[in-house]
Amino acid sequence: MSAAHFLSRAGWRVTVYDSGVVASGATGSADGAVSVASKKPGPLMTLAVAAVRFYEHLAETGVLVDEFISRSTFMIASQSDELDVLESQSAQLEAAGVPVRLLKGQSLAETVGAAAPSALAAVEVQGEGHAVGYRVVERLRRLGGFTIRRHCRIVGLRQSGGSVSGVVTEQGVEPADAVLLAAGLGSMDFLAGSGLIRPRKGQLIVTDRAGRDTPRFPGPLMSCRYLVSKGSHPAGKLPESRSLGLVVDPLRTGQFLIGGSREDRDDKDTADADTVASLLRDAVALSPSLARLRVIRVFAGVRAATRDGMPIVGRVGGADNVWVATGFEGDGICLGPLMGHLCQQMICGRPADQDISALGADRFGLKLADAA
Amino acid sequence: MSDREVLVIGGGPAGVAAALEMARGGLKVTLCEQGPRLGGAIHRQPDDPSRRVRVPKAQRQRWQALAEALAASPVTVLCRHMFAGVEGSGAVLLEDRASGRIVTRHPAALVLALGGVERATPVPGWQLPGVVTAGGLQMMMKSTGRAPDGDVLLAGSGPLLVAVAAQLTALGKAPVAVLERSTSAVSLRALAGLIRAPAYLWEAAGYLLPLTKAGIRLQRGASVRSIVPAGDRLSVTIVDTIGLEQRLVVDRVALHDGLLPNGNGTTPAPNGPFTVLAGDCREVLGGVAAIADGRLAGLAVLARLGQAAPDLAGAAATLRRERRTQSALNTLFDYSGSDAAHLPDDTVICRCEGRTLGQLRGMLAAGDRVSAREIKLNGRFGMGACQGRFCAEWVAAFVASQRDGQPPQVAEIVGSRWPVKPVPVSAFVDLPPSSPSE
Amino acid sequence: MTSTSQAFLFDGKAIPFDSNETIAMALDRAGIRTLGAGQGNSTGRYFCGIGTCQACTVSVDGTRMEACLTPARIGLQVERIASVSL
Repeated sequence: MSAAHFLSRAGWRVTVYDSGVVASGATGSADGAVSVASKKPGPLMTLAVAAVRFYEHLAETGVLVDEFISRSTFMIASQSDELDVLESQSAQLEAAGVPVRLLKGQSLAETVGAAAPSALAAVEVQGEGHAVGYRVVERLRRLGGFTIRRHCRIVGLRQSGGSVSGVVTEQGVEPADAVLLAAGLGSMDFLAGSGLIRPRKGQLIVTDRAGRDTPRFPGPLMSCRYLVSKGSHPAGKLPESRSLGLVVDPLRTGQFLIGGSREDRDDKDTADADTVASLLRDAVALSPSLARLRVIRVFAGVRAATRDGMPIVGRVGGADNVWVATGFEGDGICLGPLMGHLCQQMICGRPADQDISALGADRFGLKLADAA
Repeated sequence: MSDREVLVIGGGPAGVAAALEMARGGLKVTLCEQGPRLGGAIHRQPDDPSRRVRVPKAQRQRWQALAEALAASPVTVLCRHMFAGVEGSGAVLLEDRASGRIVTRHPAALVLALGGVERATPVPGWQLPGVVTAGGLQMMMKSTGRAPDGDVLLAGSGPLLVAVAAQLTALGKAPVAVLERSTSAVSLRALAGLIRAPAYLWEAAGYLLPLTKAGIRLQRGASVRSIVPAGDRLSVTIVDTIGLEQRLVVDRVALHDGLLPNGNGTTPAPNGPFTVLAGDCREVLGGVAAIADGRLAGLAVLARLGQAAPDLAGAAATLRRERRTQSALNTLFDYSGSDAAHLPDDTVICRCEGRTLGQLRGMLAAGDRVSAREIKLNGRFGMGACQGRFCAEWVAAFVASQRDGQPPQVAEIVGSRWPVKPVPVSAFVDLPPSSPSE
Repeated sequence: MTSTSQAFLFDGKAIPFDSNETIAMALDRAGIRTLGAGQGNSTGRYFCGIGTCQACTVSVDGTRMEACLTPARIGLQVERIASVSL
């Protein structure tokens, strides 16, 4: 939807094809963290910094006004073995130019003490934000300028002479001068190669609204265990088929979003009590006041995870007018608008504002499938 | 007796009948009820046995028979156990209100007898304290055996309005008025349907006689236009068939626009046990049918689990008869609610999230055909604590009315995820992790 | 059956109740109609009577539950759930 927005502003006639309805994939089930705090050091962290700045820009220029909320994220170490992870991530963030503040003793008690009394130390990562994925999509939809085709599956791409000349829908072929594949896991239906992107399920919990019985949270609290779960930091742990990381996120509605899991499975319609109970146990251990609230929803989503943990954004081999933007795993909400903008620049043949060569499709030799 | 447990959710007539049928068939049955006592909404038992409201004799006897059979049966009864849904691995989640904990069960089969929910259609002010559903008002009387204090106005459509009016009158507190939206005179077809069901006629006569004696007016074609606070009371604007407005100041307004199956939690869950719906949550046919339907649900479970099952042709016949009666009865009433075109933008639609009709109209204003999922996520309709039970159906119908038909599915707004109702975070904290083999 | 001596606390005020009575019924008899802050211009209140609408949810000894389903007990600390301004 971001790419559609920017392409339509650049003068293209744009159609978004969705096999279901918009924001029905990972976007609709995401936590909404526009956050650098948990990103893997390196190009991804650098891009995330730029992505947050881009959100700020979109909020200032009116595109995402009221949809992007600036705030700090608080990384919390509540066990002594998490202190190392906290310090190392904090140093990496600082090196990437992210303002951070170490909280210990008095400052810790004043800032997160009420919400997380057992915290040993915390790092406030400043200049972060929150944007609800489906609300961003809704804003872009309302701004309009492009057509949305819901429940319209692309069954193939019409190829001729090294280019794609149209998309094949169940209703027939529709001409296209350029194609951007931004269908998450579904993007691979059009590309050669298998096992490159795998589903990683995540489960999230939403509570009812906090009242005066719950202390004020300064921002989202991220247990340092999240970083271990995400693989941002080697922790000497064996890879598991399920890992849990804890983020307790106070939403604008007064509700809390508690997440999440990373599981190598794709059953996105089911959430299991075991995972939910584990997350809630951890959440209550971190923030005991949450025990006063009720769970009103649990849900699952499936992220598209690449082999090397980096998104795939760039031109696809085998055709000169097909681009791809997928494999964001849990970073799609954070990176989405910036990537949409960069895709527009690439498709228009202009140099991209950011160096995204590290995300190129060529690193996997990704080509258009013959049958596409 | 088989040692495999079957679970019944809901301690009303359908649930009890199903539990009894399965226990007779040799299954180990556990019956879960959310409230402190069995009976369901229809047979709600009084807090104090010496203080009870009068109900038709046949109705009282039906419950008495079920309760006696249950007491003599080996069925295990768990009260204050809320059904929270079937989770991803297939376990049934129950919230035990006494211990404050989640209990998981892996039954061989699950019977859901969740009852019905009242339809109350939006009018400006329906979210005010003092505005209740007619069934909610009836629950108060059945529980306490007393008439609620203050002046009561009953409005909407359906036989329950008359029943509640009669119960109020019997407790010495006749309603100020009963407004029945429907203008339909009794049609021949409806009469023919009712004659085949003498029990209903007796019930109706039993309700209507005291009303007539007390001089209560049943205003046909009249409805509530708006409710506003008036000090500690409620000022209600009423509109009649010819559009004349009138104001009444009362203490309570009881609204009712028919019954709907309580569908939350009834969508089959992947990995879940064999599940059968019974009673009003499957099809709203009332208390007589609920017993027959519960027995049939029990039969379906027995057959599925390979237990010998009796022939229940009589129950099936009862169900058919009650269905005919119910549809005849429904033609007499108008459950559609106020014409949405006359509702102002600030009318609350989603009572949990405080979302208004103006916000819904705004979402539909753009030419683009937004999906039910978008209406839910962005409009927050159906996102609140009641999980859309009081707005999803209305929102779906409104969207359809704005778009020449093609209604979005109510299920798309309600969703099918557990928990079926809000569950305390604290209830999960003590849930032991499942064994590694699972 | 009925005892006038038993009471629970609602926002600190003693509310008498009858045996087997729910919190919602006892509050209604005490003339209390507003049960919490609610959302928008909806306030907490008794509505459906069968635990479905969630409008009568109150805090009972620190846990949120439907007043219409919860039997009153001596000494229960029942509180309105106040909203916080965001």
